[in-house]
Parts: sequence; C-alpha cells; structure tokens
Amino acid sequence: MSENESNEPRTDGSGPGIVAPDDEVPTWRERKERTTGLSRVTYEYFERARREDQDLRQESSYVERDVLGFPTWPHETIRNIALASFFTGMLLFLSAMLPPHLGDVANPAETPEVILPDWYLYWSFGLLHLDPINPELAIVGGEKIMSDELYGVLANVVVVGVIAILPFLNKGSARRPVEEPFWAALGVGGVVFAFTMSILPIQEMFPWEVAITFDLAFFLPIIAAAITYAVLKTMREGYMYDLNRRYYRLRPPR
Amino acid sequence: MSLERKDEHDHGAWLAEKELSLIEKTYLMSLIWLDKRFRIVDYLELLEDMYYKINLQMPKSHTEQYNLDNKFWYWYPLYALGSFSVIAYLVAAVSGALLGFYYAPATGTDGDPIAYETIVAIMKDLNFGFMLRSIHRWAAQVMVAAVFLHMLRVYFTGAYKEPREVNWIIGVILLSLTMLFGYTGYLLPWNQLAFWAGQIGVEMSLAVPIVGEWTAQLLFGGFSLGQPTLQRMYILHVFVLPFVVTALIAIHIGIVWMQGIAEPH
Repeated sequence: MSENESNEPRTDGSGPGIVAPDDEVPTWRERKERTTGLSRVTYEYFERARREDQDLRQESSYVERDVLGFPTWPHETIRNIALASFFTGMLLFLSAMLPPHLGDVANPAETPEVILPDWYLYWSFGLLHLDPINPELAIVGGEKIMSDELYGVLANVVVVGVIAILPFLNKGSARRPVEEPFWAALGVGGVVFAFTMSILPIQEMFPWEVAITFDLAFFLPIIAAAITYAVLKTMREGYMYDLNRRYYRLRPPR
Repeated sequence: MSLERKDEHDHGAWLAEKELSLIEKTYLMSLIWLDKRFRIVDYLELLEDMYYKINLQMPKSHTEQYNLDNKFWYWYPLYALGSFSVIAYLVAAVSGALLGFYYAPATGTDGDPIAYETIVAIMKDLNFGFMLRSIHRWAAQVMVAAVFLHMLRVYFTGAYKEPREVNWIIGVILLSLTMLFGYTGYLLPWNQLAFWAGQIGVEMSLAVPIVGEWTAQLLFGGFSLGQPTLQRMYILHVFVLPFVVTALIAIHIGIVWMQGIAEPH
C-alpha cells in the first residue's frame, strides 16, 4: 500500500493507472458543451429533444399500469404460430389444387395474338397504351414531343411517384375514411383506375367502339370516386358525432 | 484437521459428497467440464436477460386498452397482411432455393431452350417437382397480392401519415421490387409469356432517351432477347433481389417496431 501512495509517476505498468478527476478535469457534459461546429449543434439539439421528451412525459395524463396485457409466451406466440401455420397450409392447399401452367416454348418468330404480363403488372402494361392522349403540340407542327412508349413509361413513373409522396400531401391524425372523404375517394378512384387501366391492352376485344372503352377507363374511376365522396360525406355527420363523443369521453380535453 | 487450507473450489469433492442420480451427475460433470473451458458463468446474465425478454408481457394494444373491439374486430385480418407477405416470401425463398438446384438459365443452341427443358424435367421427372414449382409460383402470387392489399389497408386506415413517411416510401420501393421479383421470375421458364414480356421490357427501356440503351444493355444484355437476357434475369432473381428485398423488409419491420403500429381510434 505504501508504494502506491507515493506520488511519483511510474511507467512500469503497475499501479491503478487511472488519474482521479480533480477540479481541473472537465466532465463529459463540459467536454460536449465546449465542442464547436456540427457536433456542438448536434449536442444542443439532443439536449432540447431530451428536455422536450421529459416535459411531455411529466405533463401526460397517460396511466401506465403494471400489467398491460397478455404474456408473450405462450399466448402471443401460440396465436402467431397458429396464424402462420394456417396461412402456410392455405398456400400449400392452393398449390396442390391449382397447379401452374407451363405455356408453349419461347418462339421469336411467332407473336402471340394477346400479349399480357402476369396479372399484377396489368395496370402498368395498361399505362403503356395511353397513346391517344399523348399530346400533339402546334408549335412543332402537330407532332408528338415524345414517343408513345416514352409517354407510357413516364405515366408509370408519375403514378408510382404520386403514391410515394402521399404522406407529404395528407397530414394530420385522421385515421378513418369517414374523417377524410376526399382522401378516401381518391383511394377508391385509384383502385378503380388500376382496374380500368388493366383492360386497355385488350380494349379492341369488346363488341363496341374502342373509343368508348378508352373513355370509360378514365370516367369510371372519377364516377367511383364521386360516389365514395358523396356516401362518406352523408355518413360523416352522424358518425363523427359518435366518434368525437367517445374520443373525448376517453380523453377529456384539458 | 490438517493445517493445509482446503480448496474451496474443488468441484470434484463437492460432487462426490452430494448424493446424485446418474442423470444429475452426468449433467453436472459435463456442465463443469464445459464451464472450465468456456466460463459459461460469465454469460449467465445474458441468458437471464433473454429469459425475461421472452417472458415479457405484451402491452395492450390501443384498441384493447380503450375497449374499441366492438367496432374494430372485423378489421383485424387486414392488419395481418404484412406478416402474410413475409410468410409467403419465406415460403417462396425455401421452395425457390430447392428449384434452383434443378434449373439452368440457358437458352442452348438448337432444340428447345435448356431453361424450358429443365422446368419440364422438374415438373415431369423430379419427385415432388410439380408440387415444388406450384408452391413457388403460388407463394409468389400470394405475396404480390398480400403486398398490394397491405398497401391498400395502410392507405385507407391512414397509417402512412406523419411520422411514418419513411416507412411508406420504403413500402412503395418494396412493392416495386416485389413486382420486379415477379417479372424476373416469370421470365425464367423462357416460354412464350416470358419471351414477349421480356420483349416489352426491352422496348420500354429503349423508349427512354439518353439512359435507355444503357439500361437495356445492363438489364437485358442487349437490344434483342437471348442467353444474356435469361442469365441476367436469373442473377437478378436469385442473387440481387433476395439480398436487397430481405434487407429492406428487415428495415421496414424494424421501423414498425420502433414507431409502433398505427392503430385506429
């Protein structure tokens, strides 16, 4: 013990090797506060965020109970295994009952009468058949500014792009279709549009004029959306009354 | 009483003084043997932690807590569509790996394409092969359907809204990649459907200015279909897409875990 108490610095590797903090040594908090630039603003923001979190928790009236629900084992686990097994079994049943068809071998010399992709690409394939609405510009002498194929590819990009930016267009805490008839109508219109686009590749096969099918492909989604909008608007008043009453009974406004 | 200090850690003596059954003795001896080498005792805390983690209480969901079940129970199946997509994906992965043992992505020079012939062989000669292909195909179909319906559920229950934008975008990417998975998959048999779907793909990429020809070269291996196309579709289907899609699914589910399920109110 007496050896360790001597204050002589030793370099033989013995001793605790840790210098006890004195008043001069900055704490970690002080070190972080002294930083500059990006690490400084990061530190400041995280301090703010932590304080915000703490304040919100203190203000909250949410009651946390000791036991909130079911045990993971066995209740949740068995339920999940049951659902997964049922689903897998359904899949195997389907495979046994409806075996797939292997068509004719590929033949570049023989174009099939109807070219169609798998069903989940029908909408995308339909968007490639929009050439009647590919605009012709007077300034380039009535010529199309882009090829019909490019127009179709762009239509695909636009559709996927619009779907991707939806959360930036529609914000707020509304969850049910009745709360936002416009967005529900847009959704229904979109689903119907996917179906009507799917029939564009086979539009010649109907016993009426092609133009009628083509126009219907655009009018039907609008009609469906309008009906949805009207129905939800009508439902809305009584429904929202009930919903608000229950919502505010559970969490009374302060 | 000897002056020599007894070894407190003489496990052998401790074992000898206890009356143990054969099973207990064998178990303890192997435990001690393993512990001397791997110091299992150091990891007991981890094991304990794991034990308590798997015996957690699941928190009550929002609907259970506020007793909204009378209004919502009939929506619950729609909330399982995400897990159904994952299960279908796993089934497709397992059956696809088995199919990969017997399939060859080659067009060959004369006669029917080798790819087509291997699939005929899988369906006709291989034990359980017809069922295997059937399972793979149906798993793929069901996965695509489940992913589409999952997106509709998320849309109509407003679950994509702030603060879940990132997960919605990852979901849109996953949906596109799922369709790409399907597309590259049904090109592999090299039948009429495959060939003309590939033809449409090449025409689509050639229609794009500037990068179109480069894309056609990269994805389809040229401006007309052949061996390079098939091989590229095969590599995309069994190598590139599985890694990308699996990683994205992990991130997607991880974010749902972090942010919690957006439940109706």
